[in-house]
Amino acid sequence: MNLITVKNVSKYFLQPTRMQVLNDISFEVEKSKFITITGKSGSGKSTLLYLLSTMDTRFEGSIRINQEEMLGRNNSWLADFRNHHIGFVFQFHYLLPEFTVLRNVMLPALKLRRYPVAEIEHRAMELLQLLGVGEQAHKRASLLSGGQQQRVAIARAMINEPLIIMGDEPTGNLDSYNSAAVFELFRKMSAEKGQTILMVTHDEDIARKSDQTIHLADGKIDEIMVR
Amino acid sequence: MKILTDIQLAAAIALTHMRSRLKQTIVATAGVTFGIMVFVFMVSFITGSNEYIRAIAFDQSPHLRLYNEVQTAPGTIIGKVMPNTVNMVDHVKPKDVLPGLKDGKHVVQTLALNPQVAAISGSINAQVFYRLGSSTINGVINGIEFDAENALFNLQSKLTDGSFKELSTMPNSVVMGVGLAKRLNVKTGDRLALTTENGNNFFVTVVGTFKTGMTDIDKQQSYANLNTVQRFLGVPAAYITDIKIKLHDMEPAPALSLELQQKYGFQGSDWKQDNAAILQGDILRSLIVYGVAVTILLVAGFGIFNILTMMIYEKMKDIAILKAMGFSDSDIRWIFLVQALIIGITGALLGLLFGFLCSWGISKIPYKSDVMITLDHLPVSFNAMYYITGFTFGIITTTLAGYLPSRKGSHVDPITILRG
Repeated sequence: MNLITVKNVSKYFLQPTRMQVLNDISFEVEKSKFITITGKSGSGKSTLLYLLSTMDTRFEGSIRINQEEMLGRNNSWLADFRNHHIGFVFQFHYLLPEFTVLRNVMLPALKLRRYPVAEIEHRAMELLQLLGVGEQAHKRASLLSGGQQQRVAIARAMINEPLIIMGDEPTGNLDSYNSAAVFELFRKMSAEKGQTILMVTHDEDIARKSDQTIHLADGKIDEIMVR
Repeated sequence: MKILTDIQLAAAIALTHMRSRLKQTIVATAGVTFGIMVFVFMVSFITGSNEYIRAIAFDQSPHLRLYNEVQTAPGTIIGKVMPNTVNMVDHVKPKDVLPGLKDGKHVVQTLALNPQVAAISGSINAQVFYRLGSSTINGVINGIEFDAENALFNLQSKLTDGSFKELSTMPNSVVMGVGLAKRLNVKTGDRLALTTENGNNFFVTVVGTFKTGMTDIDKQQSYANLNTVQRFLGVPAAYITDIKIKLHDMEPAPALSLELQQKYGFQGSDWKQDNAAILQGDILRSLIVYGVAVTILLVAGFGIFNILTMMIYEKMKDIAILKAMGFSDSDIRWIFLVQALIIGITGALLGLLFGFLCSWGISKIPYKSDVMITLDHLPVSFNAMYYITGFTFGIITTTLAGYLPSRKGSHVDPITILRG
């Protein structure tokens, strides 16, 4: 069963002039795989990721995730879908600076309300310990180092046990040691919990180690490598 | 259920935002507090003064008055005789009308039985000259039946010296306005001469003085027994010139006045006509109060609007992350709306408290006035309505000021922010 089905997707930027960024993209992703999307700057790889993230719905074609069509859904349905099924890790960590580390991790789960608050706190704490930042839990997010913040962001992406974790160059801002550590964490999650990882990256090493690499060039699929 | 927990979560995020911007939040709250405080204080003080002035004026004026007045006759005799021709009559002289009310005493007795009437008094109002030594002062003498007049105007409370009781027991006695007594330099027990319009002279004794607080009355008027004045004027015992009525409910006075004028053929006026200037002044002052308060609240509202708008610009990134996590547009809207509401409600409640304290403080300040004798402290009105109005005003302004920025926040496109 395919988790993600992308069929004939095209996307245009209208500003400053009409320009095609994605041209007739089609591919499929199976469950529990580690997928990387590569390509040069401007090849459209981030644009593709944000279409898959359901935050951008202005495209032509069809994107189905978990058997649900994303085109034409309203904002609140999409927000709810993201809350349930998609976890996000960004390049520049993007924690909420005024909140504690623990609170940052808890927020998506507090929104989802699958478990009572005490249970959510317990799970968040477990995740932070698993990712090696358990001692930082009660510090304010803005006081952590870059590598630590990225681990917290991963914990936040995983708190709701989503089907897919998406990363927009999550290791792009880290040194090689932290970069390798973060990659290993993703790898472990994908193996242990059966989560699908979808990651945009420049890093050839990471791409080589993934299950499947989608290489984009000029808005078209250049090649799909399955290992 | 879900929507409740969503709002609860939005409120928790809002509180964290506010805590991290405590100074700005306090300034915004202080703005609202100040606006509501000034509103409550000004409304209480100005309404208090208005009510006091009204009370004095209304104490002295009946709800309804019936009298006769010299006036131009409607139409001309030739007009009645030859109604179908064009008649020109220049310089029509006013008709001479006797000031006495026809069947006045009987009308008083009939109206006293009317269930709308709380108190009624028939009296004589006559121009006289007060003379003492070589000085002559123009004034008015009121012939009254003390019990009836006292029921209308509470005369007893205005007595500063002597007594009204002696009016009926002592012949040719008057109770005189303090201003008039001062001008004539007479005290209780002194005698002076009084000349009526038709030239008759009488000696009268001052048996007391009164003070209403209305300078015009105190400097011109004196009270005497009805029979005494009838004797001065040489008129029969049925003669009265004024019927003054106090009603249980003063609102229908104009309508009743019209009805009685038509029924008995007298002239009439009511408290709304008599005090038109005061009533108009009330409305104008209220307008000013509301104008000032609304302006202050608008300024406070702009303060909230600015702070929230700036906060949303600062928080663009956070909004984008929250949306990526799965927070909906309305969750984001609630986050900012809750901040506005907290500022609004806190500010408004504090404003009511401080407004009340200011009003209470000023109502304790001693204030003496020669004109307003019954006043010893500044008049302040305490009415729950002003507090409710102030609170409502505050909440509406802050909600509006918060709604626009929060809508802007909810429309933030996460992609443009996250892609940088």
